[in-house]
Amino acid sequence: MNPLDHIPENIRQTAAQCRHYAMCKIDYLETGLCPPAKQTPYVGYFPQGRMDLCDALAKDLVPVTQAAVEIISSCTLCGSCDRQCHFVTGMRPMKVMHALKAFLDVFQEKGEKAVIIPKDNTLKALKTIVGEKWATNDPAHLMAYANDPFPLADPQMPGYVVLPGSADELVEIVRFADKARIPAVVRGNGGSVFGFVFTPGIVIDVNRMKNIQLDPDNWTAVIEPGVTSFELQKAAADQGFRVNTAEPAATVCGNIVCTGLFSTWANVYGVGADHIVDMTFVDRHGTVFSINDKHAPNVFGFEEAVLPSPGICTGARVRMHPVTDDEEGLLVPFTTLADAVSFAKDISRRRIGLAVGILGGHYLSTFISPTRTLAEQTRDVFSGMLEMTCVVSVIGDKYARSSIRQMVPCVIDSSTLRMFMLGLPQLNRSDLADIVQGLESDRPAYETVFSQEMLPVLEEILSPSPETIAAAVDEDLRDFYEALYRRPHMTDMVWLAMFRIVSARMSRHKHMFAFLIYVPLEPVDVIQELIASFADIAEKHDIEHDLGFITPLDLGKRGILEYDYYIDHTDSTESEKIRLAMADIEPMVDKLSRTCKGVTFLKYIFSQGCARKENFLYT
Amino acid sequence: MRQKRKFFVYLNAAQKRGRIFACPFLHHNGGDIRATDNTITGRRQSKNTCFLLTGATGFLGIHLAEMLAQQGYTVIILARSRDNTAPKERVQALFDWMGTDGMPSCVQIVAADLNRADLGLSLADYHRLAAGVDEIIHCASDTSFSERKRAQIEKANVENLHHLLDFAAKSRCCFFHFISTAYAAGKRRGICPETLKDTRSFFNVYEETKHRAEVTAAARCRREGIRLNIYRPSIVYGNSRTGKTLRFNAMYYPVKILVFLKNLYHQKHQEHTRESADKMGISFRPDGTAHMPIRIEAAPSGGINLIPVDFFTAAFSAIMDTALDGGVFHITSNTITSISDFIHYTQTYFHITGIQAVPAGDVPPGTQSSLEILFSRYTEIYRQYMQDERIFDNTRTAAILDPKGISCPDFDYRIFSRCMQYAEAANWGNPS
Repeated sequence: MNPLDHIPENIRQTAAQCRHYAMCKIDYLETGLCPPAKQTPYVGYFPQGRMDLCDALAKDLVPVTQAAVEIISSCTLCGSCDRQCHFVTGMRPMKVMHALKAFLDVFQEKGEKAVIIPKDNTLKALKTIVGEKWATNDPAHLMAYANDPFPLADPQMPGYVVLPGSADELVEIVRFADKARIPAVVRGNGGSVFGFVFTPGIVIDVNRMKNIQLDPDNWTAVIEPGVTSFELQKAAADQGFRVNTAEPAATVCGNIVCTGLFSTWANVYGVGADHIVDMTFVDRHGTVFSINDKHAPNVFGFEEAVLPSPGICTGARVRMHPVTDDEEGLLVPFTTLADAVSFAKDISRRRIGLAVGILGGHYLSTFISPTRTLAEQTRDVFSGMLEMTCVVSVIGDKYARSSIRQMVPCVIDSSTLRMFMLGLPQLNRSDLADIVQGLESDRPAYETVFSQEMLPVLEEILSPSPETIAAAVDEDLRDFYEALYRRPHMTDMVWLAMFRIVSARMSRHKHMFAFLIYVPLEPVDVIQELIASFADIAEKHDIEHDLGFITPLDLGKRGILEYDYYIDHTDSTESEKIRLAMADIEPMVDKLSRTCKGVTFLKYIFSQGCARKENFLYT
Repeated sequence: MRQKRKFFVYLNAAQKRGRIFACPFLHHNGGDIRATDNTITGRRQSKNTCFLLTGATGFLGIHLAEMLAQQGYTVIILARSRDNTAPKERVQALFDWMGTDGMPSCVQIVAADLNRADLGLSLADYHRLAAGVDEIIHCASDTSFSERKRAQIEKANVENLHHLLDFAAKSRCCFFHFISTAYAAGKRRGICPETLKDTRSFFNVYEETKHRAEVTAAARCRREGIRLNIYRPSIVYGNSRTGKTLRFNAMYYPVKILVFLKNLYHQKHQEHTRESADKMGISFRPDGTAHMPIRIEAAPSGGINLIPVDFFTAAFSAIMDTALDGGVFHITSNTITSISDFIHYTQTYFHITGIQAVPAGDVPPGTQSSLEILFSRYTEIYRQYMQDERIFDNTRTAAILDPKGISCPDFDYRIFSRCMQYAEAANWGNPS
């Protein structure tokens, strides 16, 4: 029997569909991390790495090396990956893990020997810096650093991967690479998602550098570059603080440098330099500088060009923000985007609320649904039956929420949203649909359905409970989901907005290609024109698409808009569609930014994420 | 000129016989009537009349389509796709629902779109169709009441009518049958005559647009020499003998809400979780009867004018055959069903108590219970019809129907039961 018989095409396809969102690298569901990865945080040891290894072995891209044997052998088949991955993508990696085990069993039974990759001088030098364990040139590890799901980028195998354990080691690696004239790049937690971090040289994975020191008196946190948003937020929350967050599995430093941190909290916490108290970099020549040094490169400036980053961040001091104990979330539904933008702008201008975001129909339904099928059904209900074209999501204290209730006729508060989340599978009851669809009113359907009088009826219909929501998932996962949804924070808008663990669900059905543009919030025509253009281009190229979100910035003067295209990143025909679409999109956005003040394509902010927002929002 | 003379000769003769139909539509501005009475009747008798029908994918329209097909007429149905279902499939599904054995051979489906001035047809197809149509029955309509949907409703009920009338003008159409509504009479109390009356005040955008459509149709048909009948049905429900209906809105909707609430809380009651029902003020007797205390404001002297679809179809057919001179015809019931009676029927059939009709103003704001507010929100748009005091004069119509023995059955408990039995069996139109 051929070992590859245990990696049939359907298993390989599952493996190839890994989104690389790295959610398996953070313990966001309290399942525990993959045990071997916790000990040895090369990407290869994480489920993501094993998925890549499976795909690579099936395609004969890598031989069975010593590292491949170690990676496969070390898997304990504990099933954490299944739970973690299913929660955001619906995928079940365990079948890949089992396939790898079977592959290795047959490989070894056949008496085949793992390939031993010799150590060259570069590797030896790297091991001298970081220790024997933390540098490798084994392809089984390298290929986990070769990919970026960006469909127009081909994988590129690096020559080496090294995991420094401290800033000093990191600096020494950079100096060595510079002296040896070997290109070196950094991958925050080993990953690159549309970051185009490729090199034939050295990939520096900072996943060992996880130190967090909070300074509660000054509302700041000092972090090493391997700290993820989730980890920092958890540390901050444990002390009664909050930080602005990016994707939970993304490293804070990497995210700041790359694009600047933005989320719905940007409404109150800002973007770009707003987050940073200080950052230390090592430039490509090994010179270390702090951005607050008077003679350091000016990272606060902005140039509308694609520029390299100032260097590799070795550490940062970032802001923390106080939290009050009366914060809750609410959703304000609208039938038109224009009304939602107007409202979001208004409350931002009035300083009402903290996190504010306008969510398209796809976003809300996907965020709250544990399965893709349920998300689609929910979307039909929200956007169709209930006429909620979009919602404005707000996190605010009791005063903010009270103000908002005076401003709009309908609010979905946190307890109602929790009821919906826990009763989602019941939402599609035909009798409920019937009485709502037959509803004739001068008010949108959602105003009637979410009225105070209707809430007790909704509760009866939905029968919200952990058991109800768990019934939507695969039977073998139901106990896990029941236990999960018994935790209050899993349906708490504040917690979910802080930790953003459901963001990755946006790529559940297909990988998401997000276009991010800073926009003026007034006049709304600019946003509408931009959205219409993205939609037209997507339709032209037969690409699935939708508005993602819009967050107001700077007291509602500006906003950041995300428009999403959805593609199967493993399908070359879809890649081609994106390539053609990009040829239309870039000139479209560039033209708009020339004619309309305040429109700035995020691609020009790549590697300028420390810039003062005024420099790219108003110049 | 010859046409005009013939008309006046006929008119005088008709006056002498006492069968005068005041017909403003024939006071056309110098244009000739397109076809004589004899031409029209002759063509119909030989079943050579080709009818163009819009709205056949709706409740009234499909009944008219089936009626015309059964009578042997050629029927061209204009229909469009919806939800990825082709026009032919949509119409076929409705004929199946009607119990017709396959699509009648005399029925043709033309994929068209009234939203477009060219009806979505190529120039050649447009003219080909126009050359073959003798009479047009315009049943397509947006029956929404919501002011929020004004633009959509105006488009469907007024603008699209212009497109159809343009087509009619370019065709050989000699008769335009317009399905309007009795409620185009607008906001008034008391008698609503069977005439076009200038009205400026309406209860909702549907009534307003149907009135405007009538005025538009009258003016255009007059100019083009096209005869015009305006058919004004009141509230149409299912078949009086079988209860069969396609839609469960209008009369059905408030009942559906009550039944939904009763069933929802009854299930919980059986599961021994009473608190939520108690909060809503809903309780159950041991025999399952639900007590749902709801006060519904209704005009003591008013009520709802209900007609079954089989009466509508029969009346339409009779009027079409008889009223060659054109006119406005109220296809309405001679009796009003009071809200009290309707409530009584509902409570009796569905084993509910506690619902009562009270005079308007007897439930001041702020005094309503949660249950009442909830019911009120869901039925808000129909409130005017529960307080309706319009009385539809149907003298002209009766003059046609009475000799033929066509009459509207009184809406009594027996008919109500049939309708509700059908509604329940059909799961209120929901696929199970």
